[in-house]
Amino acid sequence: MRQRLVRRYAAERRFRRSGLAAVVLSIGVLAFLLMSMAASGWRGFVEQRIALPLDVAASASAGEMEDAVAMAAEAAYGADGLDYISESAWKTVRDAFRADSSLAGTSVVIPVPVSSTLSTALRGSGPETLVAAAQRLDAEGKISTHLNTHFLTGADGTDPSAVGIWGAFKGSLFTMLVTIVLAFPIGVLAAIYLEEFAPRGRWTDLIEVSINNLAAVPSIIFGLLGLSIFLNTMGLPRSAPLVGGMTLALMTLPVIVIAGRSAIKAVPPSIRDAALGVGASPVQAVAHHVLPAALPGIMTGSIIGMARALGETAPLLMIGMRAFITTPPDGISSPSSVLPVQIFLWSDEISRGFVEKTSAAIIVLLAFLLAMNAGAVYLRNRFEIRW
Amino acid sequence: MTAAKITARDVSVYYGEKQALESVSIDIATEHVTAFIGPSGCGKSTFLRCFNRMNDTIIGARCTGRIELDGEDIYGAEMDVVQLRARVGMVFQKPNPFPKSIYENVAYGPRIHGLAMDKTELDRIVELALTRAGLWDEVKDRLSESGTSLSGGQQQRLCIARAIAVDPEVILMDEPCSALDPIATAKIEDLINQLRGRYAIVIVTHNMQQAARVSQRTAFFHLGKLIEFGETSELFTNPRAEKTKDYITGRYG
Repeated sequence: MRQRLVRRYAAERRFRRSGLAAVVLSIGVLAFLLMSMAASGWRGFVEQRIALPLDVAASASAGEMEDAVAMAAEAAYGADGLDYISESAWKTVRDAFRADSSLAGTSVVIPVPVSSTLSTALRGSGPETLVAAAQRLDAEGKISTHLNTHFLTGADGTDPSAVGIWGAFKGSLFTMLVTIVLAFPIGVLAAIYLEEFAPRGRWTDLIEVSINNLAAVPSIIFGLLGLSIFLNTMGLPRSAPLVGGMTLALMTLPVIVIAGRSAIKAVPPSIRDAALGVGASPVQAVAHHVLPAALPGIMTGSIIGMARALGETAPLLMIGMRAFITTPPDGISSPSSVLPVQIFLWSDEISRGFVEKTSAAIIVLLAFLLAMNAGAVYLRNRFEIRW
Repeated sequence: MTAAKITARDVSVYYGEKQALESVSIDIATEHVTAFIGPSGCGKSTFLRCFNRMNDTIIGARCTGRIELDGEDIYGAEMDVVQLRARVGMVFQKPNPFPKSIYENVAYGPRIHGLAMDKTELDRIVELALTRAGLWDEVKDRLSESGTSLSGGQQQRLCIARAIAVDPEVILMDEPCSALDPIATAKIEDLINQLRGRYAIVIVTHNMQQAARVSQRTAFFHLGKLIEFGETSELFTNPRAEKTKDYITGRYG
């Protein structure tokens, strides 16, 4: 008896320890992932600028401005000067002049974005001569670090130092909007009907099995469906958040229906009885009592589905959302990209400068995801009913 | 014998293939509290739930025979279930207040039936129902608190208040005290005594002493059949059927 007790306690300790080990392991992996992401990604949010002394006439046109900046770069840093500054450096100068018109016609020093080759060299990789030059410039105090506002306001481009995430972010926002507007009401209504009103029988069983299977269908299949129905048959615009949202709504719908049904099933039947008992009609019993009690659960499930949709790439590639689009979308029907596709595209680029942009885009995607989940937790706690 | 509020004739209930109730006939009068007693699974709750058609919500449940409320067929085509349940209120075995405020719990019924013209009238109905349920003095200062924050006995009286707020003609109670302690039970029994005469009350109970204390008529069920129905005092002191005698003397059940 005593020996048996010792063995039982030992088994219990073993079980608890292995559980704890599993938790520690997953936290460790997660922390490593986040840290490596943050370590390489923070550079995507900042840009290095090089001091550029120049004087430009007040009436300079865009072309003249570009030439003046190129000449100033060569004047300041020799023949290689043009390689040090970003192709879009003249825009920074133009903006500076616009912001303060008294600068025109005087000699000023303006920090302009460095080229992506110099930016790489500043970190110690690239051709040796360039690295040496970069170190010299840094030592002379010509290089300064600024917040890269363009990254947060711009869209895709060819020059890694001039790309932005806002285009893809806005695309994701529009896509999610379309998805939630379509999938949430349809999914919840379907769940309510199946759980509360549908007659039990062969057809209901068949529908239930189909929904469970749909939830497990690979997402690329939904992409093909979207391609053939929304684009080819219905002729909706290609690469648009509208079609992306509709495709992802198809994918999310079964998840929401399943989550909704189990949340509705979890509402104590006594509440239904109570409502029916005072003479509520079945629809009133559901709308006034069952649905409010099930709402937190439905929302949790829906957010999981939405989070999956937000990170989805494959189906969106099928409907053309991998196009190279350099302006943020201004509506749900204008062409756009989305965050995960943007990450996929940038990770495919050869230029070294895109590596940090990729990591930065991942950070933005994760932040979006966290914000969405935080919103869901807030809503769930607000609607939570304590029995 | 006065006119019966509810008359049931040859009522049988089936759950799928299984017959739960066999050809029961009974008259329920307003001035009496009628108790249904019998061992578990004898069909007394099933029978009670026929009176407001709550069995409709159970898949596969089927009811034959005829039940009339004031001469109207409860299962007839003209009978509206929603209206029937407003006329025949129900209190369940486990207290089941809505997870809303005490006020909302009581106001819900009158509100969906449109019984109050304005807020003042609704307030009056809520106060009256809570007063009749003997709960007003305990909760009048915390009407906005959740109904689920009350004690078990208070919750059950809240459920009774909720039922009487729609001014029903009949109140069905399905083992209303089985989840309560003796003190809370005594309060509910007092309440039933006070409500007698105003509403026709039918109470299902496992507790024979309770049936003897609160009811004037008692029906004894066994294996889906009505064995004996009569004056409570008569049934407990001088049962006619052998089975009734065995049950009330505690030989089985």
